Amino acid sequence: MEGTGFIKTTQSWMGKRWHWIPLIILLVWTILPLVWAVSASFKEATEVYQTPVSLIPESFNFDNYIRVFDYPNFWRYLFNSVFLAVTTTVLAVAVSILAGYAFARYAFRFRHILLIFILVPRIIPRASIIVPLFTGIAFLGILDSYLALVLTYTATAVPLATWILAGFFKVIPKALEEAAAIDGAKPWQIIWHVVIPISLPAIITVSIFSLREAWNEFPFVLAFTSSQEMRTLPYQLFMLKDSMGMQDWPMVLAFTIVTILPLLILYIIFEKKVVNNILSGAVK
Amino acid sequence: MASTQVETKTSLTQKLKNSSLKKKSIPYLLVFPAILFVVGVLGYAIVAGVLMSLYDMQLSFADAPFIGLQNYIYLFTDSTFLNSLFVSLIFVFGSVVLGLTLSLSFALSLYKCKRSGNFFKALSLVPYLISGIATAIMFRFLFSGDVGLINMILSTFGLDTVNFLANPWWALLICILANVWFVCPFATLILLSGIQSVDQELFDSAKIDGAHKHHILLKIILPLIAPMMGISLIWLSFASFNMFDVILPLTNGGPGRATEVMALYMYNVAFDELQYSLGSTVMVIILFFNVLTSLIYLKVFNVNYSE
Repeated sequence: MEGTGFIKTTQSWMGKRWHWIPLIILLVWTILPLVWAVSASFKEATEVYQTPVSLIPESFNFDNYIRVFDYPNFWRYLFNSVFLAVTTTVLAVAVSILAGYAFARYAFRFRHILLIFILVPRIIPRASIIVPLFTGIAFLGILDSYLALVLTYTATAVPLATWILAGFFKVIPKALEEAAAIDGAKPWQIIWHVVIPISLPAIITVSIFSLREAWNEFPFVLAFTSSQEMRTLPYQLFMLKDSMGMQDWPMVLAFTIVTILPLLILYIIFEKKVVNNILSGAVK
Repeated sequence: MASTQVETKTSLTQKLKNSSLKKKSIPYLLVFPAILFVVGVLGYAIVAGVLMSLYDMQLSFADAPFIGLQNYIYLFTDSTFLNSLFVSLIFVFGSVVLGLTLSLSFALSLYKCKRSGNFFKALSLVPYLISGIATAIMFRFLFSGDVGLINMILSTFGLDTVNFLANPWWALLICILANVWFVCPFATLILLSGIQSVDQELFDSAKIDGAHKHHILLKIILPLIAPMMGISLIWLSFASFNMFDVILPLTNGGPGRATEVMALYMYNVAFDELQYSLGSTVMVIILFFNVLTSLIYLKVFNVNYSE
């Protein structure tokens, strides 16, 4: 547990400016792989082999990115990634809003047992369950289909989403819902017209988590699909690394950056909500 | 808590004309789709995996003979599996030690940092958004033998270059580094949320009492955030025990089997050798280790998973 960073922080806690040392480590550690990859993605194929190294490319050329977009089937892989991410996020968030609301607002029999059913799988890691899932999907005859991926992606996203949303619903004041109920509104009307509008920050956070899971997912798509048309961007990135023997670094890195950018942009837009929601302890 | 909910519910019930039976079924209807997904997919996977590990399943489950614990006995006498278990334990231990050290020092300094603190908080979560594949490729590029930045820096200083990914111990270390880069951000924010929830007055009164700097850290902050440390440790070891995305593209388990963790072994045994029962057995063993380590953390760090 003890390392140099830890001891330094220990000795300097409440000291003047020592916290900048871990922060500088944090900065370099976080952005070094990214900056280096971005820099190389603008270089010529031979330039990455030159010494001495330079962070700034000799000339910024977008050739590598154009080659990524011209890559056979690139748009198909992009479509698969977007389609899976959006479909599973909408499904998972819808399902989780209903369940989260029930857990936050109703006292019912088996509530605790059902809660355990939802919450324990939250910590089951995806990669470890691919084998029985594969045999089940093969048994249903839906290998190599969107359906198999949508079902498994949604199922893995629901537990965390339900947990975060239930925690959020619990702290919103009940007065509005009660007023609506007295006016004769049905539960789904209350959820749609009252709960969802005031819970948008939590719903956005949950959506970003779920988008992130689906967009970056790899073990499932690797195990459950076989045809080229079903590949997602991370899958193709993995194949690129294999088939090209990692020789054409600038192109592989441009592809890498292209897979990172969409989520990064979303994150920059909604960063405050996401970070604050994690910091409020909603995610454990 | 529960009683107030019941009261509100009953008071609402009186005011509504709906029959009480219809009313009672509402929460079950709301929960049903979620339960269907989670139990149908994840619950199924666990139950089927445990069952499959007790049978000798070659192609279909229908005609598979029951063989009890023979799959487990086979694995624990198989040197390839024992190697992957050993590699996994080193990998997880290294990731947890490095990950907790980094995330704790990051979290403490993020807490102290008032100016531009938001920038650093936002920055610290960035690796969490990036896929394991992309992480692996960027780290491979940093540490590769010919084009790697690290080697170029070494040679600039006149030091010998190292073919990192061809050396078993270096390769394992690079896997740990890439993994920590990938899983540490979330642990950092969990810890930071724990530190932020510590009452500011505690710090102030400790300062007034003239408490020593390290006393404040060791006697006040660390005990109070112990549950959060337990949760980030669970997160770090779960993510590491099951790491697959980062290692497969980075080293593919190599050189030799030096970085073949259990998840990778499981994948190879199931999908290259088509031994689904053995693959499921590895799954049960991985989950067993997950549960065991989290029980230890929960006990040691006094985590109380209340709702």
